[in-house]
Amino acid sequence: MKIEKKKKKTIPLSQRERKRYVLIEILNATIPEKDFYFGFWIELLGFFGSKGLAEINPRLVLYKDNKAIVKCARGRETELIAGLAFIKKIRNKKIILNPVVTSGTIKTVKEKAGFK
Amino acid sequence: MDIVYAQPLKELLQISSYFKEQLIVLVKDEAGEKIAKKRELIPCFIVNEKTDLNKLKKKRKAVMGGSVKANEFATKIKADFLLQPSNEKQFFDLGLAKKLAENGTIVVLMFEELLGKNSFDRHLYWKNYLEIVRYCKKKKTKFVVASGCKEPLNLKPGKVRQSIAQTLGLTNEEAKKALEELK
Repeated sequence: MKIEKKKKKTIPLSQRERKRYVLIEILNATIPEKDFYFGFWIELLGFFGSKGLAEINPRLVLYKDNKAIVKCARGRETELIAGLAFIKKIRNKKIILNPVVTSGTIKTVKEKAGFK
Repeated sequence: MDIVYAQPLKELLQISSYFKEQLIVLVKDEAGEKIAKKRELIPCFIVNEKTDLNKLKKKRKAVMGGSVKANEFATKIKADFLLQPSNEKQFFDLGLAKKLAENGTIVVLMFEELLGKNSFDRHLYWKNYLEIVRYCKKKKTKFVVASGCKEPLNLKPGKVRQSIAQTLGLTNEEAKKALEELK
């Protein structure tokens, strides 16, 4: 039997799951991208658990000048923002995470953040 | 509007003005009230059964809940705020929620208390809070989430507190409205 190799179909843009972008501002300390991602992930995992975190599906899109753009599933952005309250310290540096803006497109968030 | 304990007010004020929010400061005596008023913050007295209430007429009063006695005391004096109405044991029920709604008392979840606990206690607290919100929704008692801290860096922005209230079961409008009404 001949097995035919099928080309993987890409999901059309209109059929993909919707997402939300949240601009988070890090106040009080300068933190490298990796530390932010790790600290952020651990705290959310601790609070929401594996299932909850998978449903929120947060991804760090861009990190620049102590500002982070985090992508998550649509309808789950409130949980993501609520989870930020549990992050007090990252690598023993006390920080405040301030969610500045939430949007459906990265363009708007980038404009608000002042990224080019 | 956010609710915090007193001191150090200078830093608290700096961060809250960055978040564009006003603070209600919980004070124990008149000296604390003076300091808060100097910094243009809204003072609110924490009272208990031993406090002389005659001195505090027409002033904001908050009761630290957590026990049956304290919760009942809050309903008796018609306090403006009932802080932390539960601890590891649940002392909140529908009857209390109804009385609080009639008096116009706002139930306040002090978020700092929750953060201070280890993960096991946090789970118990969170479970109790979910129940409190359910009772509050049934009896239409006002409910807010506040930072409730002395450390200025633990102040939580309004958006975050609103999201926590939503995660606890309030709708977006209810959570937003409660924060606006907190004056």
